[in-house]
Amino acid sequence: MKKQIPLFIVIVLSFLFAAWAVVPHKISEEFYQGYLVFVRAMSPFGVILGIMSITMVNTVRIKRKVPNWQYSYVTLIAVYATAAIGFIWGTSEGSPYIWIFKNVQMPMSATMFSLLAFYISTAAYKAFRARSAEATVLLIAAIIVMLGQVPYGVMISPKIPGFAQWILDVPNLASKRGFMLGVGLGMTAVSLKIMLGIERAYLGGGD
Amino acid sequence: MEFIKKLQDLDRRWIYLIIALAITIPLLIPFNAPTYTTGPTETLYQMVDSYENREDRAILICFAHDASTMAELYPMEVAILRHCFERKVKVFTLTFLPTAAPLVNYAIDMVKSEYPDVQSGVDYINIGYKPAALYLPIVVGMGDGIAEAVKTDAEGRKLETLPMMKGLNNYNELRLVIETSGASYAMGWVTWARSRFGVNVAAGVTAVMAADAYPYLQTGQLSGMLSGMKGAAEYEYLTDVFAAYQSPDYPNGRPFSKELLKDQDVIDSIDISKDWDPETKTGIMYKWKTARLGMNAQSVAHMVIFLFILIGNIGYFAERYQQNKAKK
Repeated sequence: MKKQIPLFIVIVLSFLFAAWAVVPHKISEEFYQGYLVFVRAMSPFGVILGIMSITMVNTVRIKRKVPNWQYSYVTLIAVYATAAIGFIWGTSEGSPYIWIFKNVQMPMSATMFSLLAFYISTAAYKAFRARSAEATVLLIAAIIVMLGQVPYGVMISPKIPGFAQWILDVPNLASKRGFMLGVGLGMTAVSLKIMLGIERAYLGGGD
Repeated sequence: MEFIKKLQDLDRRWIYLIIALAITIPLLIPFNAPTYTTGPTETLYQMVDSYENREDRAILICFAHDASTMAELYPMEVAILRHCFERKVKVFTLTFLPTAAPLVNYAIDMVKSEYPDVQSGVDYINIGYKPAALYLPIVVGMGDGIAEAVKTDAEGRKLETLPMMKGLNNYNELRLVIETSGASYAMGWVTWARSRFGVNVAAGVTAVMAADAYPYLQTGQLSGMLSGMKGAAEYEYLTDVFAAYQSPDYPNGRPFSKELLKDQDVIDSIDISKDWDPETKTGIMYKWKTARLGMNAQSVAHMVIFLFILIGNIGYFAERYQQNKAKK
């Protein structure tokens, strides 16, 4: 029953939603309006579930003293302290919650992302080599697109931005579209398998 | 040869130092690099422009990123908001990420400080943060009724009671959605809002994600795109040249014109290296040119990376040549 009931819900609802997407009937619209009410009621429980999950995972890590267990304290303190501060003093401009966002969250996020520039430059210097014909094509394309993005590219040659745009519009587009079609077909196949109850990995565990 | 060998084995910390200097020096000492605009940016700009002074038209900016990608995306949002406030285009702001909610407030507050006449609920509505679980209900629901789908704005006011909502019902009036994101989130708007209701969708994406959006741009499913810092710089530039332009002939800005963008006098009149002077009212305020100043740093960094690739490959081929020679 632990698996049959969720499986039943998924199969029934997936067919109902597929029908809703293509049948513009009053009944299908009423079904959707009912779903909206349900989703609004359900989303707070999703948040509670998330908090419970993060608490349980990190508590177990601390209890078992797994490698780097100390960081779990940081996670738990950050989650509960930020939430508590938000509840007590609100989240409006000038509140401690916004202070935390400005002085902790923002610099940390920006720092993590900006590290990318350093990794890219090291990779460009140490690893981006014309070792084969394919690597050479990739290298030349990368250089042209990179130069096409900045004003110096135009200064070197006014044709560079146009050529960079051609690379993005033609070879890039062709490969992306092929890739996306493949992904799309794969998603359709997996969706059908889920709708028909063939694919059950999402239920967790082996059956 | 020894020198090339040494270059090949260069400690990565030197590379870090060089790239750090390449980024920070142009930010500390600004210079006036030219800004060239591209088709996707111009299309988006013109689309926003076409809603000037219209009570029955509005756009929506969906902030779908946190502070990590702020350097590239935030200037886009500021530039678009400024354009809207200059042209009196009604604008909604929304986010499904809790970490983006303060960014929406920053962007609005920053732009609004220069436009004292602009009022919340009258000229713009900040819907604020809505849980991601409500993404589909809101995106699809706005097709039937904006006020029914989102109910309240960030200040807890019922949308239907706000003056701006007069004449704005659904996607028939909300004709453009711009999503700024470090991922392919705009595709959700394409899938649900564009395919069902025909709303125009545009994307503001980080440069690394731009390649993913090109198929949608080519098919017209995306009506326009701002690509990374460059896209933001282009939008800033267009706003300066047209919407924010002030002269006795054009007291409320001038209309978009491709010819003007090629005019050398126009190009020369925009100088980002000069600071804003409140007395003479010349120069450009720092907050309106952050992307263009960022592009200075990005330009130098790109050139440095280009040189790194070049030097690295010269070293590689020299080493290979030596090895082949030794074998013979």
